[in-house]
Amino acid sequence: MVYVFDGTKNGFLTAFLAAYKDENALLTSKQTQLPLGERTLFIDTEPLRAEKAKNRLLCFDRDCMRDFDTLLRSGMDNNEQIAFRYFHTLTKEKRPIGKMLSNPDVFAAVECMRKVGFEVHRFHGFIRFMETASGALYAPFAPDNDICDLLAPHFRARLPQFPFVLHDTKRKKAAVYDGKNVFLAPLCDAEIMLSADENAWQALWKRYYAAVNIPSRERLRQMRGYMPARYWKFLPEKQDPPTDE
Amino acid sequence: MRYTIRMITEERLKILTESAKYDVSCSSSGSGRKNAGGMGNGYVAGCCHSFTPDGRCISLLKILLSNDCIYHCKYCPNRADADVPRASATPDEICQLVIDFYKRNYIEGLFLSSAVCKNPEYTMERLVLTVKKLRTEYHFHGYIHLKGIPYADERLMEEAAKYVDRMSYNIELPSEKSLKLLAPQKTKESLLLPMKELTVKKQQYAEERKKGQYKGYFLPAGQTTQMIVGASPEADGQILRLTQALYRSMDMKRVYYSSYVPVVQDSLLPDKPTGQLREHRLYQADWLLRFYGFSVEELVAEGENLSMEYDPKCAWALKNMHLFPVEINRAPLETLLRVPGIGAKNAYKILEARKYATLSFEDLTKMRVALKRAKHFITCNGKFFGAKNETQIRGFLAAAEQSDNAQQLDLFAQISSPQNALISLTGQL
Ligand code: SF4
Repeated sequence: MVYVFDGTKNGFLTAFLAAYKDENALLTSKQTQLPLGERTLFIDTEPLRAEKAKNRLLCFDRDCMRDFDTLLRSGMDNNEQIAFRYFHTLTKEKRPIGKMLSNPDVFAAVECMRKVGFEVHRFHGFIRFMETASGALYAPFAPDNDICDLLAPHFRARLPQFPFVLHDTKRKKAAVYDGKNVFLAPLCDAEIMLSADENAWQALWKRYYAAVNIPSRERLRQMRGYMPARYWKFLPEKQDPPTDE
Repeated sequence: MRYTIRMITEERLKILTESAKYDVSCSSSGSGRKNAGGMGNGYVAGCCHSFTPDGRCISLLKILLSNDCIYHCKYCPNRADADVPRASATPDEICQLVIDFYKRNYIEGLFLSSAVCKNPEYTMERLVLTVKKLRTEYHFHGYIHLKGIPYADERLMEEAAKYVDRMSYNIELPSEKSLKLLAPQKTKESLLLPMKELTVKKQQYAEERKKGQYKGYFLPAGQTTQMIVGASPEADGQILRLTQALYRSMDMKRVYYSSYVPVVQDSLLPDKPTGQLREHRLYQADWLLRFYGFSVEELVAEGENLSMEYDPKCAWALKNMHLFPVEINRAPLETLLRVPGIGAKNAYKILEARKYATLSFEDLTKMRVALKRAKHFITCNGKFFGAKNETQIRGFLAAAEQSDNAQQLDLFAQISSPQNALISLTGQL
């Protein structure tokens, strides 16, 4: 049976309560991916039932809601099913299972969470801010996973005096730091006025990037492995190289 | 708070970067420096901000304050009599560059160094002035790695250490004899003495900190050093003994190796570059010393080189076949770490997973533990899946090594055009 829910956390938990005894259950909120010929049940989100499911899971692993949050942030197509199998295993084992790596369902969930965490780590490095005319910093990016609010604390800790916007252009939302608080906001297109010096600093950065490379040791495959091409769109150093010579 | 913009020109940025780029260490890890008003903090795990087409990570802005040198190190393109474009930057230009790059999240911090300009004292003064300004006037709390200049006054070194996260004095060459020959103005003493002094000072400041008499930082990310491999005749065994001594007696955080590339024609220097495979092997052995509980005496005799055919752990295991196979479900951590092909991460994974179930060969595959090498050295619940005898094992290991290296061919390709490679090692001490 396919259990279709609304994509919210409470929706998942309600569906979980309905599905956890069904070995062949498939949980999804992505209606475009419904398999043909399967019986389908549309789940209405019920906060009370969700609460019940949550408390049940917490009995077995006090920290499992953190895993839940991470799994639902994943951009993988089947992340909700992975989460379902993980919690299904948790209810069977009745104890924390995070290290039980020889179990394929656990392994899949751990891998899925690792990817989210890894992308957060990557974007601590790959975020590129532009300085706007007001002095605020603006960084557009398109991550695989839903992580823009997870990145905010890192930048807030190191740039406390600069308001900034981390704009996930794929999900059309942004984590905004106004100099005091961080909040999430929907954001489609941002109109940006750059500061007077912004282009000159970008040019210096491109110059640096070109100069620090050692052409005789070209290892493009390594570079792409560490910094996949899908991330290049928002990196100034991967746009046209500096000219002259 | 707005400073007058002191923007360095693209042309000088290019010269000062190209003269610094061959320095191998780019690590920004190890400092937990906190933001204290102003900008920046340390990131204990280190952080890569970009990758260049040569596959290297950009973490720090790696730059020289000047490439105008009075010394004559034989292997260096910046030496006094070389015909290369010269440039210098002012401390404010460097500070502004760091601030504006950091703010845009291009970099994790600064790696500053310099050629010996006018004299060691003057050069070190300029370096210290730069990092001091960066911390106190520009309120920068991100990562700073500073290269020390030998022969400069000890007090300058001590002052620098209060502002920066990491310092390094490069040991340059693995023996005194080679140093005399190739870097005639530097002596072993001039390089080792500052390292020793810094180690002692760091302990003193830690004591004072404990007693509450000192509040600031003193080199929170410690010291590193670097040496050129292949410009002089020392064997890997000798190089690694020096390395081990540096880790043990100087509390070095890292020793970096840089394979020699001939840029300069000189009868005293080899005309062939050192293969990158040799450098790779040294790093593998270095890793075993630091994280896997090996001592250099187990790995290679003093006058010998590491095996090119097998990685150092495989080579060691082949010499110690009587210790294998080990049972994956019972072997203690130290033993797991010595199994070829099992890295620290997988060793820990195994320790955890076996608490829940007896692990079979299949389970290990499911956990994506690479078994290409390991299977010849382990049993899983009593079962052995490796080759029958030692000769076969050697064959399989050599094949594994070859296929790995083939995948990384570009990594080990010999550097064939010296004018492209331009510089083997750089402009700095
Ligand atoms: S290695 Fe340093 S001291 Fe020696 S010549 Fe080059 S820049 Fe000068």
